[in-house]
Amino acid sequence: MEAMTHGGGAAGEDDLVPSEYLTFTLGSEEYAIDILKVQEIRGYEQPTLIANAPAFIKGVINLRGIIVPIVDLRIKFNLGKIEYTPFTVVIILNIAGRVIGAVVDSVSDVFSLTRSQIRQAPDFSGTFDTKYILGLATIDSRMMIVTDIERLMTSADMALIDSASE
Amino acid sequence: MTIDMSQFYQVFFEESAEHLATMEGLLLELDIENPDSEQLNAIFRAAHSIKGSAGTFGFTDLAETTHILENLLDRIRKQELGLRADMVDAFLESGDLLREMLEAHQGRGEVDPAVVASICARLRQLSADKPAAPQSAMVQASVATEQEKRGGARAFDIQFVPTEVSAKGDGISHLLEALRGLGTLEILSQPASDMNNVGYWQLRLRTEAGQDDFADQIDFIAENGAWRVVEESVLDDQDGAFGFFGDSPGVPDENQSYGFFEPLDSGPSLAPSIPVAVAEDDSYGFFDPLPSAGGGLAVVDAAGTEDGDGYGFFTPLVGQVATPPLAEEGDGFGFFEPLPPVPVSTSPASPVAAENPVAPKSAEKKTEEFHARPAKVAPASAGDSSIRVSVEKVDQLINLVGELVITQAMLLQTAAQMQENAPERLVNGLAQLERNTRDLQESVMSIRMMQISFVFSRFPRVVRDLSAKLGKQVELKTSGETTELDKGLIERIADPLTHLIRNSLDHGIELPETRIAAGKSPVGTITLKAYHQGGNIVIEVGDDGAGLPRNKILAKARERGLPVSDQMTDQEVFLLIFEAGFSTADQVTDVSGRGVGMDVVRRNIQSMGGRVEIESMLGVGTRMTVRLPLTLAILDGMSISVGDQTYILPLSYVVESFQPQTGDIKTLSNQARVIQVRGEYLPVVVLHELFNIKSCSSNFTQGIMVVVDADGIKAALFVDALVGQHQVVIKSLEANYRRVQGISGATIMGDGHVALILDVSAIAGMAKTSLQKAG
Repeated sequence: MEAMTHGGGAAGEDDLVPSEYLTFTLGSEEYAIDILKVQEIRGYEQPTLIANAPAFIKGVINLRGIIVPIVDLRIKFNLGKIEYTPFTVVIILNIAGRVIGAVVDSVSDVFSLTRSQIRQAPDFSGTFDTKYILGLATIDSRMMIVTDIERLMTSADMALIDSASE
Repeated sequence: MTIDMSQFYQVFFEESAEHLATMEGLLLELDIENPDSEQLNAIFRAAHSIKGSAGTFGFTDLAETTHILENLLDRIRKQELGLRADMVDAFLESGDLLREMLEAHQGRGEVDPAVVASICARLRQLSADKPAAPQSAMVQASVATEQEKRGGARAFDIQFVPTEVSAKGDGISHLLEALRGLGTLEILSQPASDMNNVGYWQLRLRTEAGQDDFADQIDFIAENGAWRVVEESVLDDQDGAFGFFGDSPGVPDENQSYGFFEPLDSGPSLAPSIPVAVAEDDSYGFFDPLPSAGGGLAVVDAAGTEDGDGYGFFTPLVGQVATPPLAEEGDGFGFFEPLPPVPVSTSPASPVAAENPVAPKSAEKKTEEFHARPAKVAPASAGDSSIRVSVEKVDQLINLVGELVITQAMLLQTAAQMQENAPERLVNGLAQLERNTRDLQESVMSIRMMQISFVFSRFPRVVRDLSAKLGKQVELKTSGETTELDKGLIERIADPLTHLIRNSLDHGIELPETRIAAGKSPVGTITLKAYHQGGNIVIEVGDDGAGLPRNKILAKARERGLPVSDQMTDQEVFLLIFEAGFSTADQVTDVSGRGVGMDVVRRNIQSMGGRVEIESMLGVGTRMTVRLPLTLAILDGMSISVGDQTYILPLSYVVESFQPQTGDIKTLSNQARVIQVRGEYLPVVVLHELFNIKSCSSNFTQGIMVVVDADGIKAALFVDALVGQHQVVIKSLEANYRRVQGISGATIMGDGHVALILDVSAIAGMAKTSLQKAG
């Protein structure tokens, strides 16, 4: 398991080592996640419903023989238009030894960001709890929200993992 | 040069565990009155292998304990000591101890040093006992045993060629000193002084000690096969010994030096007069039992064949037969120079060679102990026919094949959709693919299959220990050990079966006096049977004991407030013993009677998708039958549709299905619904309500009721339609998600979609509770 390279505030040599981030959009917002957590990107297919699951858990799909739950981040964060087209994208994430699919509006780019490029996010209240935000980064005047996807997906809010959900 | 030994530890642990299991099995089979020398040898070999590898890997505690064990075993198999029941007990206990030590080395549990010390002391004490009188019952062995019986000094003829390294140091002088410490030492021949001690040594040692006391030291100086110890008989035995050799000159030695053959196999064809005991020591090449052979002659003959040890198998024989002098030159050690050419004739040689393929298994075992490198030329051994593979790899293979099956199904469906447009060759190819994948899946699944003997083999010990503790006489009969079962099931069935057997032993089989009074044989019988029946495997645990007392069980059940009536069938009454906390035992023993156990048995078996049945007749016996599915990975399911979703209902739970009529469904307190089926009111579970799915059937008459029976709790599930029946591969939902109430797993359907498998017990349980609330 790769160690999280973020978190501490102290400046050091690490700050200059760039890490790669995958960016995706949810509505008009652009998010960046550590690319090492991404297993693959695929199109949306109708999942099998799971009874009495929260609305943002769309169900489970068969990913080459593995049963993978699908989370619609747009529903979770109430962003963007919730429609499923042939262009709807699922990012398959590999987190904490589990495979989870996340539905997003679109996947845009891969960027290299050094620690120093990620600025502390101001405290704000909203649906997206700031504890899952590592910071904000700006590239070509686009603001990206750098997200700790592992922490987000394993959180109790997501109800994806037994221990966290109880 | 350091080699990281730890990488071999796992192999060592596995092998040692296997050796221990073999040893235990053999010990239990052993007939104490008349032990089979072959079995004694096998037990000894197992102990020796453990000792050898434990020493190699530096597990000294293991090696030391096994060494003591081995000493005692050695004396028994050489018939210096008679086998007694307490020895077998001690062996079994030390086997347990060794197992604990192995566990401890693997980081599980700890070994109490006091226990180690006490067992070692016990073994030593047993081993120090006065030699027992030889057992005249031993077939063919009487000649040897009488000569074995000796007191006082023994004479050993020691020959060795030290390695250059050890010879240059103080090795030789230390050895000589050590040997002098044991008794009187004569140096018969030694290399010329300018040879720097490298060369042929021959010593004669008169001592009271056994050869084990110094053999290790010689082994240290000389390479394997480059040393030898022959015990010479004391003088008064000489006459007899000469006579013996005169009968079959050369032949017995042949047998021993090669040691590759189970002596009993090769014995008759070589020389029927060879006493079993003489041939026994083959694994060492020590010639230890040779005491029967008199002095000089024995040395000559035995030495002559010695090169077989060091040089392997066929070559020396061929060499000697064709051109005896050349064979001597070929040996390179200059080892036997003082000896005359070996009188080996072709006749003993060819049976030797011919015998070999007959007993490849034993050959393999021996080579291991022999450390004789050239012995590799032996024919393919039994060990080569199987490989160790980690379960992970097998499971991965199974998963991959599962995917292949799904992909193939998808292709087939696509082709079917093309209808007439599909080229014939494509359709044919797909049909072929379907057959191939099915075969492939079957054979891959069979990799995980293991023989049930893996579980059964532990029960003789359980029965033996427990019957001794309870003062009962019990015989265990097993059949169908070769029945194959999924590995996952094998591991999980062991505990429930142990419980059932303990239960039979404790409650079923009566004490010998009671049995005699009842006109039965004092020895009770427990039968353990396994066989296939349909898609199930059936395991029966039967006893010819007292049987289950129906009235007592009913009384006990009433006492505990269970809902019972006198009208209940025997089967229903007997199943009460599986209730938690239920026990008819008048007193709690440390074996059973606390009332835990049987409910655990039932729960374990049910969690495996199996069930237990009991048949019993008072005074005649009890039979408990466990039925299990063949594998955990595949399930027979009925697919049902609810709204646009498909679910799988495990077929084993389905009792019947029917279309309800208007008015069949009644409500209780306007909350719970019930339906009357064959005179019984069953709670109705409306699946689309339970799962919050939009259903296409607006009222009950449009759908189907499926009656399910989960461990006695019945319920009627309302579904939209029955779709079909499938064999489905069970996938875990929890691997990437979490537990979902009412769902036990998931599977992938032919079209690649996921279908969830219903947890019928949970759903039926929910229905029951909601009904109880409403009522």
